[in-house]
Amino acid sequence: MKFQVLALLAVALLRGAPAYGQRPPGYDKVVVLQTRIDARDLGYAPVDVIPDGESGITSLTVAPNGNLYGATSGKRSHLFVLIPRHGYVQPLGVIPGATAVTHAVAVSASGDVYIGTSPEGHLLKYTPQDEDHQAIQIGKPLPVTDLGQAVAGERICALTISGNAVYGLTAPNAHFFEYSLHAGKFTDLGVVASEIPLGEKFEKDKMMSRMLVADGQGSVFASGENGAFFRVRVGFEKLEELEIHAPAVPGREPWTRVDAFLLDPSGVIYGGTSDGYLFRLDPEKLTVTNLGKPLNQYRIVGLVHGPGGKLYGVGGDEQEMARLFSYDPSTGAYDVLGFVDVNRRPYYTWQAYVIGAMASDASGTVYIGEDERISKLYLFYPWP
Amino acid sequence: MTAVRKYWILGALAVALNGVAAPKTVMVQYRFFTGLAQMDGNWAALEAASDGKVYVGLACHGCNGHLVFYDSNTDKMVDVGGLTGLSGESGLNLGPQSKIHAKFGEGKDGRIYFATHGGWWFSYGRFATQEGYPGAHYMAYDPKTGRVQDFGIGPRYEGVNTGAYDPKFNRIYGLTHPRGHFVYYDVATGAKVDMGRMNNWDSVCRTLGIDDEGNVYGSFGRGGIYKYDPRTDSIRELSVRVPITEKGISLGRDYNKSETHWRTVVWDKQTRKFYGVDESATILFSFDPYAGPDGEVRRLGQMCNPDFANRRDVPYATLSLTLGHNRKLYYAAAGKEFDYGASAGLAASHLITYDLRTGKTEDLGEMRVPDGGLVIGTNSADTGPDGTIYFVGAISVTPDPDKQNYGGRIGGGAYRLALFIYHPQAD
Repeated sequence: MKFQVLALLAVALLRGAPAYGQRPPGYDKVVVLQTRIDARDLGYAPVDVIPDGESGITSLTVAPNGNLYGATSGKRSHLFVLIPRHGYVQPLGVIPGATAVTHAVAVSASGDVYIGTSPEGHLLKYTPQDEDHQAIQIGKPLPVTDLGQAVAGERICALTISGNAVYGLTAPNAHFFEYSLHAGKFTDLGVVASEIPLGEKFEKDKMMSRMLVADGQGSVFASGENGAFFRVRVGFEKLEELEIHAPAVPGREPWTRVDAFLLDPSGVIYGGTSDGYLFRLDPEKLTVTNLGKPLNQYRIVGLVHGPGGKLYGVGGDEQEMARLFSYDPSTGAYDVLGFVDVNRRPYYTWQAYVIGAMASDASGTVYIGEDERISKLYLFYPWP
Repeated sequence: MTAVRKYWILGALAVALNGVAAPKTVMVQYRFFTGLAQMDGNWAALEAASDGKVYVGLACHGCNGHLVFYDSNTDKMVDVGGLTGLSGESGLNLGPQSKIHAKFGEGKDGRIYFATHGGWWFSYGRFATQEGYPGAHYMAYDPKTGRVQDFGIGPRYEGVNTGAYDPKFNRIYGLTHPRGHFVYYDVATGAKVDMGRMNNWDSVCRTLGIDDEGNVYGSFGRGGIYKYDPRTDSIRELSVRVPITEKGISLGRDYNKSETHWRTVVWDKQTRKFYGVDESATILFSFDPYAGPDGEVRRLGQMCNPDFANRRDVPYATLSLTLGHNRKLYYAAAGKEFDYGASAGLAASHLITYDLRTGKTEDLGEMRVPDGGLVIGTNSADTGPDGTIYFVGAISVTPDPDKQNYGGRIGGGAYRLALFIYHPQAD
């Protein structure tokens, strides 16, 4: 009997147990559904890609023709395009004088791409030409027209187009400027924040939104100090401070920014704040509705449309792990979709921890730009 | 009957059932970590210091890791303390400081430098939350005073998964988990620097190599190598590649563990080269960082148990590689997939050597302790000033019904951590 027990034990020992590893299959439960997400290197890997340290995606926008343009930040800034028909990222060149382009790529109705640079604060115009047949050449300068410096001594930190003008915000002094496409002239419309809010010694920024948005009438909105909204109405070269504010826990208003704006086809504007609140701004009634927090995290770093009228966003600040969520305006329901992670073993696997920009196109594809030393572009395909 | 003897009999029985001849064995001494039977793992954290003390970081998932040292002069094991307490975080209900998961380093001042790490991560559901892990501490233990100096949290919410200390620039380097950032602490200035991301969470490079000029090297991507130069405070990705084995279709372990980096490297002052093994098939290679602008990598052989040579199912490489004073590399190869409580089952480690003078690889046999017990697996190695080779790993024990005398279970049996001592003159 004793021998039999020992023999059984020995067999059990020899068979062993299932292997456990660093990435158990159960991890797939906390990330975005893997049949709905994929990633793209920023170029033609392994050599002709935007280099690590220069690849943080901090601007994404979809052009009227459906092409996605993006810009990176790091040691140098690069402009790239993704033509949906092809599906790969094509680096277009190094943006002159730029190490950061933050929510500052805007495309006009004519297809010209406007780029607001940091630290030099110049507005550049890139006109796409036969991109289909250009060889990838990492490091070549992007051919641009330099439209000049928006505000002396200031860097451009956000940009949008409305009508025949480009609008922008600058840092460190929170100027709201306009560039007339017809006149080719900059106008400084004033500031949205005049003081650095009282805080700790490491807090040195004036508070303003990280994006701009134009409503259906062409008015452009920003947030400024104390979370107040500012507006420039169509035809008025004047900056107005509105009576409405971005949602914040009482007492936290001085440090509140709008991270992301999104114009809805219904005419309302959705936005997300630095504290992670989603809100709805009615640009006609000038009301703000706090829609709560989709995540137990700071920030809403991007907000876009998806199929079926849903909104998709990503939350999480630069020290956290970003998560994707959806919001259904028809029900007011949130869904937390999980970490932004792509697992295509054995070919590649990568999780984005910090997201710098989002965009979506008419087909419903959601583009998510990672902003880290090594960064990739994620394509998320929402379901209806 | 002693605990280890029971397992020796089981092992012998298993061999008999398989009809295999008695295996070649190599005898190692061992010392338990007194009073710390519940410690469940050790990875990389082993330093045989110049004064004969052998420092070990013991891991405990869901509880406090401990810093201990074995004084080879007096044959005594000393528990310096629990890491949560040493970090000043006792009673705060934070995720505990459960590990030293990276290499120690000895400073010119004689202090032992290291960084801490977390234990449980809960699928990162508690990352950056109030009850989550607060972040790794940089620390130094002073053998003269017996005290630990805490330099505070470095990477917030993250542990130092991989690390190395450079006495030349007096810095503790690390790679964080989960976000794979390259970080360092400059002891002289107190600067805590984050150089950004290098790896994905499931493939954080497990060893940073430092050459005698203070340059730091790591592995990334698909066998890539990068160099951090402290003179320029910059990272450069080199064109050379570690000889990893491309796996093709994803099966079994491929899904769980990255096999794209080097697993560990050791610096050889004499040849001014690194010697290391890759993760996937324990391929031995040399990396000469001074050969040309990007260095040169050469494949030298395979350091796994010879039974697995050229097979698909080579156990995941261990961190147990060290260079002996006799110019031989010593590597403790797992007999089965080994990762303490997550191991595939009981099997004896083999001690493999590679002679840098002759290029000859030799299997010294199954690692066994004097009372017949087998060394199930190890995950750290170092060479003492007198040439003694040390490993830390798991040894089989019989559970005591009255008290927890083991750290975890492998293949249905219980294991306990031990320091293994091997004298190369016995080769």
